[in-house]
This record gives sequence, C-alpha cells and structure tokens, in this order.
Amino acid sequence: MQLVAPAEITSCRILAIDDEEANVLLLRSVLEREGYTDIHCLTDPKLAMRAYVDLQPDIVLLDLMMPEIDGFELLEAFSRHDRAEEFRPILVLTADTTLQARRRALSLGAKDFVAKPFDVIEVGLRIANLLETRILYRRLQAG
Amino acid sequence: MRFWADRPLAIKGLVFIAIPLAILFGALASLYLASTAEERAEADVRRAFAIQRDTYQVHALLSQAAAGVRGYALTGQDRFLEPFSVAERELPPTMERLDDAIEDPGVRQEFVVLEQLVDAKRKGLGDIVRVSRGGADLASSRQALEQELNANRDLLERLGSQVDVIQRKEAVLLDQRRERVDDVRSRFLALTGISALLGLLGSVAAVYLFSTGIVRRVRVLEGNAERLAQGEELDDLPEEADEIGRLAQRLGRASALLRAREKELSESEERFRLVVDRVSDYGIFALDTDGNVATWNLGAERIKGWRAIEILGRHFSSFYPPETREFLPQRMIERAIRDGSAEDEGWRVRRDGTRFWANVVITALRDGEGTLRGFAKVTRDMSERRRTEEELRSAREEAIAASRAKTAFLSRTSHELRTPMNAILGFGQLLEIDEEHLATQHRSAVTQIMKAGRHLLSLINDLLDISSIEAGANELVIEPIGLRELLTEAHAIGLPLVEQAGLSFTLDLPEHEVTVLADKRRALQVALNLIGNSAKYNRTGKSVRLSGRIEGSIAIIEVEDDGPGIEPANVPRLFTAFDRLGEQGRSATEGTGLGLALSKSLVESMSGEIGYQPLTASGVQGGARFWFSLPVLPSAAEHEADDASKKIQGS
Repeated sequence: MQLVAPAEITSCRILAIDDEEANVLLLRSVLEREGYTDIHCLTDPKLAMRAYVDLQPDIVLLDLMMPEIDGFELLEAFSRHDRAEEFRPILVLTADTTLQARRRALSLGAKDFVAKPFDVIEVGLRIANLLETRILYRRLQAG
Repeated sequence: MRFWADRPLAIKGLVFIAIPLAILFGALASLYLASTAEERAEADVRRAFAIQRDTYQVHALLSQAAAGVRGYALTGQDRFLEPFSVAERELPPTMERLDDAIEDPGVRQEFVVLEQLVDAKRKGLGDIVRVSRGGADLASSRQALEQELNANRDLLERLGSQVDVIQRKEAVLLDQRRERVDDVRSRFLALTGISALLGLLGSVAAVYLFSTGIVRRVRVLEGNAERLAQGEELDDLPEEADEIGRLAQRLGRASALLRAREKELSESEERFRLVVDRVSDYGIFALDTDGNVATWNLGAERIKGWRAIEILGRHFSSFYPPETREFLPQRMIERAIRDGSAEDEGWRVRRDGTRFWANVVITALRDGEGTLRGFAKVTRDMSERRRTEEELRSAREEAIAASRAKTAFLSRTSHELRTPMNAILGFGQLLEIDEEHLATQHRSAVTQIMKAGRHLLSLINDLLDISSIEAGANELVIEPIGLRELLTEAHAIGLPLVEQAGLSFTLDLPEHEVTVLADKRRALQVALNLIGNSAKYNRTGKSVRLSGRIEGSIAIIEVEDDGPGIEPANVPRLFTAFDRLGEQGRSATEGTGLGLALSKSLVESMSGEIGYQPLTASGVQGGARFWFSLPVLPSAAEHEADDASKKIQGS
C-alpha cells in the first residue's frame, strides 16, 4: 500500500549543500537517476541560509565539514528560522563518522545521518522516506 | 657520737635538762655537807671554850670555898662559909657539863683525875667545916685543923695544876679545831668553785649535745628543705635513727622521688620540645592571650623567615598581608576562643615581604579551670601543594586539549580521506548499477575501481580506528553482554564468509551463560576479524571452530582452524600493523594488514588480551589458534565450574 505517490515525492524540492563539487555532482546524479526534478545544489555554505529561506526546500542534504560556515552552524540557523510545527527534514551526509559528530548533528535537529562514503541506493531510499514523512505530516496539518 | 644521735629526741631533751640539774643538785649537796662540817667544827671550838671556862670555874669555886673555909676555921664566923655553899651548889652541874662536853680521851683522863681531886677537896673542906663547928677540944683540934688545912692547900694546888693541865690540853684541842674550821672553810670555797665550773662545763656540754644532736642537723634539714623547694640535690645526711634522722630520710626519699618525676617530666618535655623544634614542615608556635608570639620552631623559621629572637613578643598579625591584617587575625582569635579552634587557608607574608599560600590552624589553650592561657598556631606552607595542584590542573587541561586536538585531527582526517572516497565509490556504484550501458572492458574497469576503492576505504577505516583508539578518542560502550549471545552472533555473521571459502564453521558454547564486560560492536569486530583471517588463510584444511570458555575471572574466545598455521618466525610480528607476513604476493588474500593490530588495540582497550598458539596434531603443526580475553562480570564468575562445552554444528 502506497500512502504517497512516487511522483509526489520526486517533485519535492531538494537543497544539497556540500563544499565538494564532486559530491554535489554525485548527489545530483543519484537524485536525477531516482527521478527528482527540483534539485538545488550549493558548494558555498555562505549562500546556504539565503537559499534555505528563498527556496523553502522540502529536504536539505547537508555536509558537516565545510569552510567558514560548517554544517552545525547551518543546522542551528535553520532550526531558528523554522516554525516549530514545520517538519522540514535535514539529512546529514558527512565523512566525519565520529560519535560526537553524529550525536551533535542529531541533537541540533538533523533527522537522519549517513556516513560518507555512502551507498547511493541507501541514500536514495532515506531521502525518499524522509520526504514521505514530510508529505504525510503536511497532510495531517492541512487536515 | 652516732650512739648519741641515734637516741630519740625525748631522751635527748631529758639529757639536756638532767645535766645542769644534776650539777645543781651536786653543788647544793656539797654546800650542805660543807656547811654542816663547818658548823660541827665551830661547835667543837665553842665546846673547847666552855670546857676551859668550866674548868676555870671549878678551880675558882674551890679556891674561894677553901679561902672561906679557912677563914671560918680561924674565926668561926659563918659568913666565911658563903663561898663554900656556893661551891657546893654550883660544882655538881658544872662538873656534869664538863663530863658531857669533854670528848677527847686525853682530856677525859685528866678530867677523871680532876673529878677525884674535886671530890677530895670538897670532902676535905666539909671535914674542916664539921671540925670547926664542934669546937670541943679546940687545942688538939687546932693542930689537926692546921694539918687538915695544909693538906687541903696541897690538894688545891694539885687541883689547880690539874686544871692547868686540862686547860692546856683544851687549848691545844682548840687550836686544832680552829685549824679544822679554817680547813673546812677553804675546802667549801674550793667545792663551790668546782661546782660552778662543773655547772659551766655541764651547760657547755648540754649546749654542745643540743647543737650536735638537734640544732645542726635541723639546720641541714632546713637547708635540704630549701633545696627541695628549689629542686636542687640534697646534702647527704647520716641516717640517724631519731626523729630528725627519719625526717631527713623521708625528705631524701621525697626529694629522690620528686627529682625522678621532675627528670621524667623534663625529659618528656624535652623530647616534646625537640620534636616540635625540629619539625620543619609545619610552623608550630604559641601565642599569648594577646596574640603575641611566645614560642617559635624551626618550621616557623623556615616558612616565615623570622628568627626566634626577632619575632618573639611581636603580634602575629605581622604574618598577614596588609589587606587582611586589620581584621583577619582578630577574627581568627575570636573564632578560636568561641569554637576552640579556627582554620583558614590564604595568603600570608614572610619576613622579606614575599607571599605564600598557607593553611593555618589556631587553637585556644585553656588550663584545667578553663581560663584562656594563650593559643597554639600551626602554619603549613601550601605553596608547593598549590603549585602542584595548579600544575596538575594545567597538565590535565593540556591533556584534555591534546585529546580534543587529536579528536579534531581524527575527524578532520576522517573527513579528508572519506570525502574523495565518497565521490569515487558513489560514481563507481552508479556505474555498476547501470553497467548494461557500459562496454565490456569498461565493466571490468569499474569492477577494479570499486574493488580497489573498497580496499582503500577499509584501510582508511582500520587506520582511523587504530588512531582513535590510541588517541583515547574511541567511543567504547562497555556493557554486560552474554558470552553465548556474543559467540552466537559472531558465528552467524561469520558463517557466510567461512562458507564462501568452502570451509565448515563449528561453534562451541560454554554450557552456562556468562556475562562479560565489553563493547559488543568492538568485540564482534575482533571476533569477525579472527574468523575472517581463518577463512582467508586456511587453504589446506576443512574447518574453522569458534569457542568460548571461562578461566577464573576472564572469558576466553578462541578461533581455531586446521590450516597451515603461522610460521614460528613470524609469530612475534603477528600483531604489528602493515605486516602481512609475506602474504602480499598472494593475490587471493585480501586485507589491509591492520586487522590484527586493530584487534589488539580494541581488545586491550576493553581490558583484555589477545594471542596466538600453534596447534599441533601428533607432533606436526596442524593449524592456528587465535584467542582473545574479556573480563567476566564478577557475579557471573560462579558458573566457572560448569564450564563444559556444548557443541553446535555450524551449518
């Protein structure tokens, strides 16, 4: 039984933030291959907040270790900006697999955590799951 | 002298009184005797005079009577008879007196003659008187009378000469008696002199005895009492048996006792003082009730820099820095008086003005009645400890900072190494997924890229694991785990790997469940690494066996195989990183060369050990046995006795 149609998920707006060009490209390739159409990628974290506010993405794919503004700061900024009742999932994708990093990211509001290098299929599934949850949540709110 | 000194005081007193008394009585007695002797001599003299007078009286009475009688005879007149009657009346008592008085035998002889002469004379005179009265034949009687008268006259003459003889003899006696009186008198005088002299000598003797027996010794005793009071040694006193002697002995014993106690006391005091004086780590000193320094020790001098002569008598607020000097000393004193003691830790100043961190305890000193006598102050220089504490703190902070830096470095390195791997493996995976679009040679290229990429990733993972364990940044979650559960899980995960290699996989569980303390994920990682090694390198044998057993307070997990085992020469290097024991050439064996080194680090971080033993079958090397240990949770150790194994067939 499918609660949410696949097209509804792939039409969601995705914001990917990673300072590494290759990783951003990889994410785009993975997402495009899954059928996503509204994909926005950033390699400069300084622009991230602006993009977040302007684009109002359905999900954010966020790297943690970036120059100047790191992922933790962005996590805090995002949660400050969002209203409490908003469910806007953030998936952290990071090469820092230490326990501290995982704990910190999840406590700052990240909804999921995937270590790099990641399995492309797994990442696709997790993104889809998070988006499905968001859609169901919005339906409930719209009620 | 000793005999005298030994007599009791009562006897001595008696003697002191008896001597002069005896002398006095002696003198009185001699005086009495002398005076009676003198009296007797004087009576003798008086008697001699009386005898002379009486003899003369006898002669005189008879002469007058004779003259009267002659006159009567011649005249016949009665008046001439008067002297004769006087003589008749007076003579008998006079003669009686003479008879009584005369004692001298010579004189008495003469007196007897005199008595006869007197009697004859009186008879003659009486005869004449009678004749004269008759008057008858006057003529004839005249003649007879004449005759009678003449005879009487002769008699009187003889009487007179007899009286003279007595008188002379008495005179001689009188002279003798006078001499005796004189003699007695002079002897009496001499006796008096001697008595006086004896009295004097007796007094001197009594005084001497009194002095030697009592006064001198009492004086010595007094001196000793004075010495006793001053705690000096006593003069020796001979041990006489009288009261003073006994008193002296008791005093001596008391002194000895007192001195022994004093010595003991002063020795203990001295010891205590020495101990306190020589304590150099603590400043220990006393304050008087006003807070002025009263004693000082080596430690105080060392800590505060003041010498005793400089600080004694000064107020202890000198030890406080200016900012607390005004109130803190007073407050400490008040607290010590109120609570018995007061403790404080803070800055104090030395003599040269430098500061040190001190711990100070002030204790109020009270006597038996509870009156405040002063304060004891113990000061400890805590600078060293404070410095050590600060050093420890900074060392700890440095260590924490270093640990943080290491952790930061590791997560940075992890990021830096994994990030490119992400792109490589991610794109590689995408190519793999869509490989039907690739040319055949490209497919195999993608396969090779992925293989090398995964190898590199496991290398990076192992390396980061080792580094993080060594940096202490590894996040171990030590918890109680069932040994059987752990072994079963390791067997299940390892089974496909072993089966892939064409081997059988046996599991031997301990009969009872035992709880070990370990990080489950890491313990599994170690077990799987050993299982993987056995599966990889056992190319000649048929099986791999996993088992667990208990040895005292540790659990031992063993992985055995029936492969070729390890070359003895290589055993020492087994657990060294990047040492694959010459296996690099074998393309069929995959591995990072870090597996055993990582396992060793992991096991050791869980307080266990890891090791290898070759297995021998009938003297020939027949396989490898790797083992590692984990601590058993103490309460579970009782199952040790039932450590029988239970075989479970793997597939």
